[in-house]
Formats: sequence, structure tokens, C-alpha cells
Amino acid sequence: MRPHICVIQFPGVNCEYETARALETAGLDASIVRWNAPAGSLSDYDGFILPGGFSYQDRVRAGAVAAGEDVMGVLIEQAALGKPIVGICNGAQVLVESGLVPGIGAQSIDLALAPNKGMGRDGYYANWVFVRVASEPRRSAITYGFKKGDVLPIPIAHGEGRFTSSEAGLFDTLEKSGQVILKYCTSDGGVAAGFPDDPNGSERSAAAISNPQGNVVAMMPHPERSTWLRQVPDGLDSVWSRKRTESRGSWDDLESGGPGAGIFESIKTHIEERV
Amino acid sequence: MVRVDGTVADIQRALKEVGVDLAPDEARRIKSLIGRDPSVTELYIFDIMWSEHCSYKSSKPILQKHLPTEGSRVLIGPGEDAGVVRLGAAEGKSYVLVVAHESHNHPSQILPVEGAATGIGGIVRDVYCMGADVVGVMDALRFGDPDGPRAESVREVPAGVVRGIWEYGNALGVPNVGGDVFFDRGYAENCLVNVVAVGIAEEKEIIRSRVPQAAAGEAYDLILIGKPTDMSGLGGATMASKILDESEEGNLGAVQLHDPFLKRMLAEATKAVIADLRKSGIDIGFKDLGAGGISCAVSELVGAGGFGAELDLDSVHVAFDSIESYAIACSETQERYCLAVPSHASGKVLKIYNDDFELPHIYRGACASVIGRVTAKRDLVMTRAGEVVADLPVEIVNQGISYDRKSEPRPAPAGGDERPDAGDIRSACLSVLSLLSVCSKHYVYRHYDSEVKGMSVLKPGEADASVISIPGTCLGVATAVDGNPRYSRIDPYVGGALAVCESIRNIASVGAVPVALTDCLNFGNPEDPHVFHDFVETVRGIGDAARALWGYGTEEPVPIVSGNVSFYNESSSGSAIPPSPVVACYGVLDDYSVAVSVRLKQAGSDLFLIGKRKSGLGGSALMAAAGLDGRGRLPALDLTGERDAIHAVTEIIRSGHALACHDISEGGLFGALAEMVIGGWGMGEAGAEVDLRPDPGLTPEDMLFSECGGFVVETSRTSRGEVEEILNRFAVASEVIGKTVSDHVMTLKIGGETVAGIEGSEMREAWLSPVEKAIG
Repeated sequence: MRPHICVIQFPGVNCEYETARALETAGLDASIVRWNAPAGSLSDYDGFILPGGFSYQDRVRAGAVAAGEDVMGVLIEQAALGKPIVGICNGAQVLVESGLVPGIGAQSIDLALAPNKGMGRDGYYANWVFVRVASEPRRSAITYGFKKGDVLPIPIAHGEGRFTSSEAGLFDTLEKSGQVILKYCTSDGGVAAGFPDDPNGSERSAAAISNPQGNVVAMMPHPERSTWLRQVPDGLDSVWSRKRTESRGSWDDLESGGPGAGIFESIKTHIEERV
Repeated sequence: MVRVDGTVADIQRALKEVGVDLAPDEARRIKSLIGRDPSVTELYIFDIMWSEHCSYKSSKPILQKHLPTEGSRVLIGPGEDAGVVRLGAAEGKSYVLVVAHESHNHPSQILPVEGAATGIGGIVRDVYCMGADVVGVMDALRFGDPDGPRAESVREVPAGVVRGIWEYGNALGVPNVGGDVFFDRGYAENCLVNVVAVGIAEEKEIIRSRVPQAAAGEAYDLILIGKPTDMSGLGGATMASKILDESEEGNLGAVQLHDPFLKRMLAEATKAVIADLRKSGIDIGFKDLGAGGISCAVSELVGAGGFGAELDLDSVHVAFDSIESYAIACSETQERYCLAVPSHASGKVLKIYNDDFELPHIYRGACASVIGRVTAKRDLVMTRAGEVVADLPVEIVNQGISYDRKSEPRPAPAGGDERPDAGDIRSACLSVLSLLSVCSKHYVYRHYDSEVKGMSVLKPGEADASVISIPGTCLGVATAVDGNPRYSRIDPYVGGALAVCESIRNIASVGAVPVALTDCLNFGNPEDPHVFHDFVETVRGIGDAARALWGYGTEEPVPIVSGNVSFYNESSSGSAIPPSPVVACYGVLDDYSVAVSVRLKQAGSDLFLIGKRKSGLGGSALMAAAGLDGRGRLPALDLTGERDAIHAVTEIIRSGHALACHDISEGGLFGALAEMVIGGWGMGEAGAEVDLRPDPGLTPEDMLFSECGGFVVETSRTSRGEVEEILNRFAVASEVIGKTVSDHVMTLKIGGETVAGIEGSEMREAWLSPVEKAIG
């Protein structure tokens, strides 16, 4: 039986459909469920995704209003059961605002996703970047299919994606415990020294951070926009781009897995191995 | 009632008191049409319905005369909210493309952020209301010269417009699939913001903007959905139909306020409503509220079905109770739709919007309300507190008016084949590359989300057209938008024709076949006979080109299925924009996998030049870079040659022989080659070595910079024979002009003699940085 993932549709999210398609492509079942669905109907799912978008119009702060919705209470219970909960972009902002990530203190909010910084420009920024798998594969729900050090081209699109904290030493703790799952990097996996390799000025170049158990992950890049090879632009300094260029004329190859597909496949493996 | 009596001055005074822009003659006409004095609400209704924006009163006969609008793929042509054409079948489904194209110029000049945002907001509603999902938006932007006079105010506009576009489009979750940005002194006081929305639906899902015939046999309700009606945007259509006076603060209230969040929720909730009604086999009518608000939407919805309506304005959900009747009837409050459904289904519809999707909870005052009913009697009747505030025959409201405008050619421009002084080709190349209208627009499009929905194949900047795929199928849709005021300034007929040619060339450059065009025609005051002549010539050029460049594999014109005319792009200081046709082309790829970008792929490939080089530098980027814009002679227009080149390139790409392709437009042959070397995203690696055959009729500038159309295609040397066979079959002027090389350098020779050699990195820098420096 295929694991069944619930994609939560908060008012204002806008990546739910392609996220569901990406899950299905990776061998999972996916259902898009409205935020106000009865709590009891959610516990049958094997995992949850909070997709990208602008939940509640980014009122107060991105993710802040959704983080206070009743459904988050259900997700906190489900997270405690070890089920994977992955927030992508705005979903990451919701997880951070709810305290599920980094999930160290009991329900305390330790992290923030602040406005992009250090890029010499204002506002939203959408482009392809490279991220490096910074943790051991089995450390998080999204990395089971990778090796530590793997480099993926993947797109970002956000105005507030800078992981930061007012708490001294938090990032040391997160690094030490392996909770920094993905880091922005150069095309060969080197340290991102500044814009554009590091697109937003995140602490430790963090692109994805998990809770201590690794089953709840907040990631800013969009794996559903790099799930199929056709989505990869053809000029990046990456084997994925070269593969895309060589696939010209083959629909089957262009519809095969792109670099982000491994994220969803990892969620599947994580569920199957846990059970 | 408002008394329409006495002298012209008396009537003018009465109209002014009411606050409408109708001419005294028009007020008299209203009185004779309805046989009595009109009410205030009625005057507001006519003010909007008879505005240039809504009635096309100056342009309609010209459009009807010159533009081809029919074709075997066309399901719905101009006249409804959006045009609909068949794309093709895949996986047992028949897909259609739904496209709409509009201007939002005046609002964007006054309030750039809000104006540009509501531009997207308005155009996507036109596509949503046809039952389609919006899968892309494009913006064609025209700004003043940021280094010219009034530089400070000129620079504020692009920054605000770009922000409005990203704030709205990104939040709505509709990818930006291209557009263009042009900087020209002619737009210093009147920017242009033209917006395009592209939707996809299954053919059976299309909903008409009319009350269905079923309403003759059973009671139908009219349901208003969305934001509570307020005073915003009151008179927006009227404002767009007159000369912009920046001192008029009153215009500020005519710009609507945007809300992409609510729009997104309405789209999701509406999807659920339509799915539910379709399951029960219920026929509906659906229309967005744009210019003219409730009165316009309802009169068109019921009028198209041959019905009338009774509206109870007290049932309309409003932002504040003291709002006047005319404002409820005519305000252009954003994020609203009107739905006609059988009365027995109304309860279910309200429940989905108000309970399942909790509209009132997530947005203050938003909801769905029954505001009236469809009647057999073909009148539009509105009541408030039991009193009739408007009672008009629907036909009179909808028929509009028309004006015969005088048309008079401008005096022929002085000077002939003017050219810049012959100088160093290398420095000419670099100045062309860094010209604001030629250089990369990445600074702009990196603000836009072009990948949401996950359908992208070629993204803005990578190729001449963007390509998206329909998930799970081989079908691809290519989109491009074009229009170069420099050509139009010299010859509006050629400018119109070339806007069509270039947009079709762009589609062909990725291997797509054009299935439809839309146009937005931006001009000054049509009451000026010269301006009107420019307009007529432009439309004639568009029509001729659309007829001549029939789609590959057919002998049908490429149909123009939707569009918009925007007059009065003129400020009170008397400066009018140049004739500015903006044409969008939509193409289909049966198999998107053949699509190519502009970036050179490898060393050792052939570079084919397709299409004849011609003499004439008029309208070119070279002339603009030399400060000679508006002067010189345009290269001769040859529509048959254009068509043959387009068809040959389409065949080369479809048969899988092309590695990269770029059309020749701004910057001429040099501009095309340079961008192939640089790469659309600045990630090129291969260089090019080109040697052009000398031609006694052409100067080196003609060869390299004349904007006479054509293509450059990179093909593998092993397929040279097959490519030549295709080119011979289409009888196209073509030759191999050089090869790609591993060093990232471009070397240009004529007759074996090097005229310029430029490092890729130097071109890249010249091309990537100017826009950010100008407006960042």
C-alpha cells in the first residue's frame, strides 16, 4: 500500500496541486485537505506537507496566522508519533512560527525566517540555487535517498527565507545535533560565500532545518519545482542541467525524475522504514 | 431624476454636479433613448458603458474591418471576457487555451504598485470566469527614459510597477511566463502596463458569460461573490478614457485596491462550486466584475442570454451602509464575480463559499449573496429601499455608441536613409548590448515567480518564448509578447505588422505553432486625426500580417481572439505616447520535448542564418544607441519571406535538428548571436565564429544591425544535409555563416576580415547590468 500524505490547504497557499502531483510521482498517495477539516479526519494519514504560498496573506508575519490554527494542534500530536511533516517555503514559515522547528523547547519559538538580506536588492527573489545535503541521510525525513555532501540544483522563490535566531548559540546546537539538513552552496558543493550562491543571508547558509527527531523539516527551496527533469534550466553548472540538455527530443526522459524528486522519495522511504 | 434640458451649458452643469464625464450630446441621446430624464444611477451606468474603454466607440469599426478573428481552432473570439481556442487532444481530453489581454496604463501611472497589481487582478478574472485555470501571466511594460528629463519621477514608476506585479502575481500563485520591458522617452508621462492572462481548460469545462437558456423555464438567481462593495475604482473605465491630468487628485479614488489572497480563495472556492453544479448537470452563467461593476456585469450576463434582471441593491454586501446607490451599481471594487444559478441551487452555492471556504471569516465583509433574479422581461431594474433607482432596457445599456473619428496622415518625415557615422563595429556592438531595451531583464523577472504550478519547460529569459507543459501530457504551450515603438514611430503600419511577425517568430523559435494572437493597442487621443490615423494604420498592419503569416501546416490566418484598445495615453501637458501596439502570440507544441533555448549548446556546431539581410537601419537599436531614434529608413517589409522563414524554422526544430535558436529582432543579427553566446540567463559557455559574405547592397551595419527579421539556428554538423533540405523545401534565403567554438568569444568577420572580436564575459557584463543600474 502506498503511504498516504495529507497536503494541508491553508487559505492563501498556492503550491498544493503540484506538490500533490510530485508526491504521486514519487509513489505516494496525496490528498489536498482544507485547513478547517474536522480534526479527527487527519490522524489516518501517514504524513503531512504544508505547501508553499502566502497563507493568510502573510498577515502579521509569514506563516504566523496559520501557525495558530487548530489544525496545528493536530500536527503537533502527529509529529510526536514520528510521522513526517514537511513545510515547504511558506509551509516552512508556518512550522517555524509554530515552534515545531527546531522543536527544542516545549512549544517555544526559537527560530525565525526573516526578510532576505545581503543581496543588494529588495523584496522577492526567485532563482535556481544549489543546496548541499549537510546531514547524514537517515537524519531527516527528506534525505533518506541522498548521501551526505550530495549537491542539488533547486529553485527558491521567497522574500522571507533567512533562517535566523535571537538566541545565542542556537545554530551551534543545531549544527552539532545535525538539524541543519540542507545548506546553500556553490555548484561544486563549496561554501556559499555570498549572493547569489547564498540567496538570502541565512545563518550557516541553512536552507532546511529539522526538529531534533528529524521527522519535521522546514525547507525554503521548492522540490516540487525540480521533481521532473524538464523543470531544470539548461545552463546550470550541474550534471542535472547537462542531462536535461541531452534529453531534448525525449519526452520520457524529460518527464523522469529531477533533483527534487529525491526529497519526496525520501519521505516515502522514511515512512516505510518507520513502519 | 437629473434634468437634461436647456442649453449645452445647463446640461454640462447638471452632469458635472452628478460627477459623470458624459458629453451633453450623449446625455440628450440617453434621454431620447429612454424617453425620460435619467436617474443619477442611470447616468453613471451610461457613463461607464459609453466610455471608450467599454464601448470601443472610436475603434470598433476599424477593428472589425481589418482583423481576422476566425479560424478552425477558434471556439470563442473577441466579445467575451476572453478568447478560447483549441490546443489539441491528449490522454483522451480535448484542451483549450483561454486568453485575455488588457491595458492598465492610467492607474499604473498614478499609483504604480496598485495599478500594476490590479492589472493582473483584472485580467486573471477574465480567464477564471470562463471556467479555466490561469496558468500564466505576462506583462508588457513601457517606461520613460530613466536618464532623460524628469528622471526621478520616471524611475519611480518601474520600481512600483514591478513591485505591484510580483506582490500580486506571486501571492496569487500564477506563474509569470514572460513579457517585455521597453524604455523610451515617449513614455515619460504615460507608462504602459499591458497584461496578458493565459488559461487552460478542458473544452467541456468552458463556461459562458451569459445566463443559460434554462432560465427561460425555471427561476434563476444572481449571486454576487467576493469583496464587499465599496467606493473604490468608481469611474475607472471613465478615467481610462480621457487624458491623464496628474493634478487631478480625484483620479486616485478611481484606482482599485487589490487583494490576491482573496482572489486565490475565490478561485479555489469557485472551483468547488462549479464542480458541484456540473455534477448535478446544472447550467450556469458566470462573469467577473470589472469596469462598470455590478451594472455592467449583470447587464452583459443577462443580455447575452436574452434576459433581464431585477436587482435589490439592499442585498448587496457593502463595506459601509451609507454607500450611495450609484456607487453600489457602478463601483469597480476588485475581487468579485457574478454567478447565475437556478434558485433551488443557490443555498448550496452560498454554503460552499460562506461555510466551507469561510469567506466571511478569512476576509472582513467578503461573502456570497443573492442580489437579484433573472427576468424574462429584458430590462435592468435596480431597487433600493423599495424604490426603483434604475430601470433601463438591457439592449440600450449594452449597445454602446460609436463615433466616426477623423483620420489624417502625419506629414511625411524629413530625411531619407539616415545612418550613424560609420565607426568602430566593436564599440557599436557593446553600446547596442547595453541599451536598456536590448539588455537582459533578469533584474525584473527575478522578482517574479515563474515556476509556481510546476509546469515550466522554458522559463522567462531562457528562450524567445516561455514554454509550459500540460501535466501528464506531451502538450506544450508557448507564449510571447512583443511590440517595438521605434518601428511604429517611423511607420505605424509596419510597426503593427512587425509586432505580429516578431511575436510569431518568438513562438517559432521554440518550435511551437501559433494558434492565436491577442493585441492591446495603446495610443494617444483619438480625437486627434493624426493619432487616429496612426491607429488605423497599426490595425491594418496587424491584420495584414496575421493573414499573411498563416500557422505552420495550415493556410489560415493566425486569429486575433481577444484584445483591448487604450486611447488617451496622453498627459495634460500634451505629450502623447508613440503608437504602441502590443501583440501576444500563443503557440502549441504537440511534443514539448523538442523546444530549444537561445543558449549555444556545444562547440563545433553549424550556425545557420535564415532570412535575407536587408538595407535600412530605421527603428534599430543601433540608431537608438546613436541617439537617432525615429530617423532613418525601415528595412522593407516582406511578409511572404517572414512566413517561409518561420515555417522552415518550425520544421527544423520539430524534426529535432535544432540545438538552439534565436529570432533576429532588436540588435539585429549581432544582437541574436550575442545573446546566444551569452545565454539567456547569462550562463553561456560556447563561443561563435561568424564570417558573412559581402553584399554590395549592404553596409557592415546593415548586415549586423538591421532589424529585418530572420533567425539564427545552431545545428549539429552531422545534420547539415537534412537542415539544408528543409530550407530548400521552404525556399528560404539561408546560409551557414559560421560555427560554434569552445572559447567563449564571438568573432565577427565580413569577407574573411575580422570586424569585431569580443570576449563572452565582456558582452555578458554589458548585457546583464544596465536595468538594475537604471531602476534598481
